[in-house]
Order: sequence, then C-alpha cells, then structure tokens
Amino acid sequence: MAEPLLDIAGLSLAYDTARGAVRALDGVSLAIPRGGAMGLVGESGSGKSSVVLALLGLLGKEATVTADRMSFAGEDLRAAAARLRGARIGTVFQDPAAALNPALRIGAQVAEPLVQHRGLSPRAALARAVELLAEMGIPRPAAVAQAYPHQLSGGMKQRAVIATALACEPELLLLDEPTTALDVTVEAQILDLLEKLRAERGVSMLLVSHNLGIVDRLCDELTVLYAGRVAEAGRTADLLDAPRHPYTRGLLAALPRIDRGRIARLAPIPGSLPDLTQPDPGCNFRPRCPFAAAGCAAPQALRHGDARAVACHRAEAVRDLPWPQPEPVATTRAPPGASLLEAQDLARSFSLDSGFAGMFRRRAEVRAVDGVSLTLRRGEVIGLVGESGCGKSTLGRLVLRLIAADRGRIGFDGEEVPPKPPDAFRRRAQIVFQNPDTSLNPRQTVDQALRRPMERFGLARGAAATAEVERLLALVRLTPAYRTRYPHQMSGGEKQRIGIARALASRPDLLVCDEAVSALDVSVQAAVLNLLGDLRDTLGVAYLFISHDIGVVAHVADRIAVMYRGAIVEEGAAAQVLSPPYHPYTQALLSAVPVVGARGRAAARMRLAGDVFAAPAERGCRFAHRCPAKLGAICEDQAPPVQVPAPGHRIACHIPAAELARAPAALAAAE
Amino acid sequence: MSASAATAAPRRRLPRTLVVGLVVVGAIAILAILGPWIAPYDPQGFSMRMRLRPPSAEHWFGTDEFGRDVFSRVLAGAHHSLLMGFGATAISLVIGVPLGLIAAFHRGWVEEVVMRGVDLMISLPPVLLGLLILAVTEPGLFKTVLAVGLVYVPIMTRLARAVALELLAEDFVEAARARGEGAFHILVREILPNAWPPLIVETALRITFAILLGSALSFLGLGPQPPDSEWGLMIAESRPFISEAPWIGLAPGICLCLLLIAVNVVGEGLRDLLDPRMRGRGHG
Repeated sequence: MAEPLLDIAGLSLAYDTARGAVRALDGVSLAIPRGGAMGLVGESGSGKSSVVLALLGLLGKEATVTADRMSFAGEDLRAAAARLRGARIGTVFQDPAAALNPALRIGAQVAEPLVQHRGLSPRAALARAVELLAEMGIPRPAAVAQAYPHQLSGGMKQRAVIATALACEPELLLLDEPTTALDVTVEAQILDLLEKLRAERGVSMLLVSHNLGIVDRLCDELTVLYAGRVAEAGRTADLLDAPRHPYTRGLLAALPRIDRGRIARLAPIPGSLPDLTQPDPGCNFRPRCPFAAAGCAAPQALRHGDARAVACHRAEAVRDLPWPQPEPVATTRAPPGASLLEAQDLARSFSLDSGFAGMFRRRAEVRAVDGVSLTLRRGEVIGLVGESGCGKSTLGRLVLRLIAADRGRIGFDGEEVPPKPPDAFRRRAQIVFQNPDTSLNPRQTVDQALRRPMERFGLARGAAATAEVERLLALVRLTPAYRTRYPHQMSGGEKQRIGIARALASRPDLLVCDEAVSALDVSVQAAVLNLLGDLRDTLGVAYLFISHDIGVVAHVADRIAVMYRGAIVEEGAAAQVLSPPYHPYTQALLSAVPVVGARGRAAARMRLAGDVFAAPAERGCRFAHRCPAKLGAICEDQAPPVQVPAPGHRIACHIPAAELARAPAALAAAE
Repeated sequence: MSASAATAAPRRRLPRTLVVGLVVVGAIAILAILGPWIAPYDPQGFSMRMRLRPPSAEHWFGTDEFGRDVFSRVLAGAHHSLLMGFGATAISLVIGVPLGLIAAFHRGWVEEVVMRGVDLMISLPPVLLGLLILAVTEPGLFKTVLAVGLVYVPIMTRLARAVALELLAEDFVEAARARGEGAFHILVREILPNAWPPLIVETALRITFAILLGSALSFLGLGPQPPDSEWGLMIAESRPFISEAPWIGLAPGICLCLLLIAVNVVGEGLRDLLDPRMRGRGHG
C-alpha cells in the first residue's frame, strides 16, 4: 500500500486555561491516502476544528501539541507546517465573509499565495487568479477579480476562498465547515464544485463538518470524534449504514431525516459532553451510553476490524440490541381544531437607507414580506421554509405584531388583532428564538425569567407562581434546582428549553418558533424537537415553525409553506409539499439538501444559479430569474396563477400542475 | 435528562490592580474625612516667622508664603478633590444615563433632539464649557461640582445610548416586547442591569477627568476661593514661589497625581472584573 499523504498518529492537544488544562484532543489518529477524502464529524466541543488548527500549526501559545507521528508527504508537519500551509496544504474556513480581507480586491487575495509561495510577479499572479476564479464557476471572473468582498454574495465569496486555497495547487485541502454559513441551494453548488475539483485535480480533502449528509456526499472515509477522541473510523458508507460505536449510532438516531419523513420521535442522546479538564481514562462516552457496562471504565483502544476501527469493547456484543427509543408522552393526538390564526395579505418593506442619506436619495426598499396569507389551526404545526432573506423571520414577527405591518389583517381566534394588540393577544401568542445565548437576560435567574410572564398577565403570584415555575421546568424536563441558575451556568440546550418554558409560562395557544433548534447540536436538537411535539400533543399548542433545515421541518410539520422573496410559492400538507408536483423552487430546495444515505441521487439534482439576492423581478414570477424550468416571457411578465393540484395544496406557478407532477422525486426515499 | 455538567459560576478573583487602587483611594478618602482632626496645624493659621520653610520634622511638607503648614492645607483640601471627582461624576451619571436610555428606546425625533443637544455640548472644550457655566454665577465648590458634572453628561449619554442600543437588539428584549412590556420595564428591568458594567467602568475612569477639570477650574480661580485650600488653587498660589519654595506646589501636585493614578487603576481593575470580554471563557 502506498504511503498515505497525511498520516497522523496519537495526536493530543491540551489548552492551558484558567480552569486548568483542557484536553481537547486525546490520541487522535487518521490517515488520508493521495486523492482520498476524509470526513471528520462530531458535535461542538468534539475537537474537530482543533485537529485542523493543529495540522496547520496555527495554535497559540496556550496549546500544547504532542503526537507520535504527524507527517505530510514524508515531511514532519510539526517542523514544516509553516512552510507547507498555503503552498501544499490549502485551507477553507467556515465563514467566507471573515476569511476575506474587506479592504483588498478579490483578485489580489487569490493571487497573494502565488506571489508568496511561487514567486510569481503580481501581474502574472493576477492573470492566474482570474483563471482560477473561472475554474471555480464564477461568471465574469475578470470583473469579480476587481471587486471587493462586500460586493459578492456568500456563495461567490466562498468560491473565491476556495480559489485562494487552490492557487498553489495544494495536494491537501482542509475544509472546516465550508458550507455551514451558506444557504442550502448555495451549499449544493459549493459541494458540486468540491466534488468536481476532487475528480479533476485529484486533490485530497479533510472535511470537517457536523453535517453527516455533506460528509456522505463528499468523503470515502469517515472519522467520528467524541470529546477529543476517535470513537469510530472507517468507510463512510459502512459507517453510516451500520454504525457500531454507540455514539455514532446515537448521532444517527437523533438526526431528523427528510427521507424518513415524519417519524414519531427522535432518540436524543442524554447528558452532555464530559468535562475535558478531568479526562476520563476509560470510555468518555460511558455516562451517556445506553449500553454501558462494567468493563467500560477501562481505557478503550481503537479495535481494528474489517476496514473499520471502533473504540468500544462492547460494539460487537450490543450490535443487535436496538437503540433505546424514548416512549411517547401522549398516545393520542388531537387532530388540528378550529382556525386560530388568520393572516391576510400581510406586507412589510424595509427602507435600505435611512436617516440623513434617505432624505436626499430616492429610498430603496426591500419588500421583505409581500402579500402573504396564512391560516393556522389549533394544535397545528406549519413549517415555514426558505433561504435566508426570504422574509420568513419577518413574517413570524408580523404575525405576532412585533413589527408593524404596512398592510394586511390578522385575525386571532375569530377576533381582529389591532396594530397595538391587547394583553390578551400577547398572552396567547409567544415566540421562541434561535440563539439560546441571547434569548435569556444574562442578569436574570431562571426563576425571575419564568415568573415575569405570570405576573405580567396576572396568572399567578407568590407560592402559586413558584409552583408554576416548577411545573414549567418539569415540562421542559429540567429539575426545580434550575430555578436559581443564571444563563451562563447552563448549556445551550438547557438555555433553549428555558426559552421555551418562558414562552409557555403565559399558557399561549400559538408559538412562533424562529429557527428554534438551529443553533443546537443534533443530540440536543432531538430532545428539544421531541419536547415541542409533546407540548403540541398535550397542550394543543399551535406552532409557526420557521427553519431553514428542511429535515427538521419535515419531521415536525403538519403543513409546509415554502417562501421565496417575500411570498409563499407553495403550501400544503407536509407529504404533498415533499413529493411531486412541486413548485420548481421547492424541487430545487429539496434536491439541494444533503441527505445521509442518498448516494447516487445525482440524477434528480436540480441546481439554481445565483442566489436569492439576484436582481428583483418587478412584475411576474419572483422566482423567474433563477428558475431552471422557466417557460419564457410569461414568467417575467405575469404573476403566476395559484394552482390547486390537490385539496389544500397550492402552487403558484405558470407551469401546468400535470407537468409539475412529472418531476422526479427529489428525495430518493420519499414515500 | 440527567443532571448535566452545569458550569459552576467561575470564581472571580479580584484583579490586583483593583485592590491596590481601592486601598489608595480609600486611604485618601479616610484622610480627607479625618483631616480637620488630624491636621497638626490650623490650615489657615498665619505664622509670619515660619514663612517658606522647607519640609522638616515639624512641617512635613514645609510651609507657604504665609507660614501656613502645607501638610495641613493638603489634608484640608483633599475633600474638595474627592467631592469634585465623585460628586461631579454622580451628577453626570444621574442625568446622562436616563437620557441615553430614553434616546436609545425612542428612536426618531426624541433621539434626534437628545443626541443633537449632546453633540452641541460635546463640541465645546470642557474647560470652556465649565467656564461658561461658572462665569455667569458666583464661584464656589458646589457650583464647580455641578459645572464639571454637566460637562460630562454628554459622554454618559452617548455611552448609555450605545450600550442600550446593542442590548435592545437582543432576543430577550424582543421576548419582553412579545409580552407587551412597557418602556419603563424594558429599560429598568431588562436593559439597565446589563448596562451597568460598562457604565461603571466608564464612571471610574471619568472620575479622574472630573478631578482634573475641577482642579483646573480652581486653578483658574473658579472653584473654592482663598483662603480655602484646594489642590488646584494651592498649585496656582504657589506659582510665584516655584523656584525658592517648590514644595508648596509640589505637595498638592503629587497628591493629585497619586489620587488620579489610584482612581484610574480602580477603573482599569473594574474593567478587568466586569468586562465580559476579559472574563475567562470555556473551551471551544
């Protein structure tokens, strides 16, 4: 067997912190052959980004790196990292906006490594940079090379970053969450590009990601990290089809999968990451493992089997035992009841330049929400999906009257909601936010945060309020001891549950969940999704569930509304929206989602050019400029009619429903 | 869900600078309070035979041109500087912070009126503004304190507004709006507790400037009037004797420096303690 390009053995890393040494990596080994692609997955805190930084020799003074072997193409990385990075090892980080220098032109940034490492003249380097940009699929590369980063969209910026990383023809590309900051349709374009680069240039890749679907698409091999140690490693297909390590099995069980549709409950992994200041010499997943037994306290070596390595002595013994499924709380689920929320023709524009500048210029406006009507019944979950900037968060806030509408009416439980709604409406309609770090007041204890809504609406006081706080904590599966905690004393998942409890404190009938689980790790996300499902079943709460993650929406929603540039282009029962006939935009969205176990789905792929911020259509269909199925002038000139292929299913498109129905199923395994 | 690893509140160690600064400021404050009782001589008692004596065992800081004991005069003047610093800053805090919070909450014309007024005040040099306020009335300690306080109102307003604007964009404020909370609750219960740390740090640093400006105004004759002793005034009075009896000006000057440095160190220490960016974070 040929010598691997990258060969790491026993890589350990400790950060010196005020709380003592944090052992971020503990004996990590991985090897990538020439032309191979390795995926490195794990939840936040697993140490996957630390691996990349350690390889590049970019860790600060407070980090101590030790390794048995760290070689790249026969050279010792510990000595040569500074010389190799940028030249023979290219790197792409998560946020393209942060990776590019806002004060330099794109061309100069792509050319820089060529001048630095290859000794090219600036003029020759710039010419090469334009070629590279063209190779990355950037239209009009010469113009883009002259542009500044802020003039490019997120996807274009990431292409420029990849061009920079590839400028010196590196043998290895380190990709640290390269598409996490991007929309799903743009992510699909970048993944296509990476796939093409690998095929054409034979560049090796180390892809760090929390998204198993992406890894499945790009990588032959997979290493699963848990709390700084390798839990399992092997061929991607084997590992995802039949995981052996309990942690890998748990990760897959907790993942809401669009192809599985709406299953009863996800299986969360209980507990949280171990304290890395006191590394457990035995299996560090033991406290959370459903199969833990006596021998688990002993150190676990990676056991190499047939083309895979597992750090679990019981992996084979428990392989046929099923992963424990949480019991459903409510067995009966009331069907959605009478209409609760009726929004008609809501619209809201934002002025782009305000204040002084706006007084002299004609005001540029963005129509964030443009004539949306929506009906939500009691106990119903509507999933609202769309790319960033499509207006879904604005719609959620319009419905709650948190921002003023330009026009449109809102009816709640049969009554008109005025622009300044009465307390009765405020009590019954609440919101859960995306970011658990900012949704709680850092200076308030859990008790204060949960008590306030009850006092505000006169629901409970004194001892009754205390009892109610404890009831709410129990509802979100937290013990009464949490009452005295401050936000900084809780994990992200715990904070998110307090945010949900606070929204529930006033006993609302409607919750707007604005990306309520997007900031959470998969294992915690599963717990929160289950909780939301239980609350709907037991309390009959209706949700407007806003998310960019279609897998999550497919899991929770009764109905799905797809939004594009301020309007709903398709709406219907979840099963109707997730299978043909589709609106072309829905089809593109669905086919862009990286799904685990969907190898060979390429035939059904439909790609969108550009992104949501491309030129606005003044009249006609707002999707026309990106639509791959555009009919012609009619799409640009006339607003599309709303077609009803089935009761409750509405598609706003010029293409006849019968023709839309012939689209291939975008989800391989959709029933 | 099992009891999860809740990170215990990080034990906050007091920064050493904070402790040292507080000790010095505290010592000066105690001396200022006890001054009248521990002063070895009457700070205003003339003694023509003892004029311009250098520091000695009887007169630690020497005597001035009227034979008054400089050490006693420095002690008697300490409370002026402290009052000037703390009183003036308190005034700027009490007026400036509510203005800033209101400006941040009520965007639109309220904000425009408040902030343009603030801009107007800031465009004048502090000493000039202090002179303006004092020139129209009789000079005196409390007028000086008030004048210095008003001079620093714009800075507090700007800071409070900036901090509040950032906090108002946070989700927990939107959650309060979703409960239909009024402006008072949002500003006092949600914003203010989070706005304190930067405001306190700024306040501590601002005290230094207030002491300095107060002394400068006294130096110009717009503070406490002779024969009262005030450090800035003492320095002004010592000018004719700077070459033959430098201790008359040096003693209050060094005390002023010591106080300024100590207050500044307290401010720096508070920033280390309260600024969340300085606080040790967990592993990433």
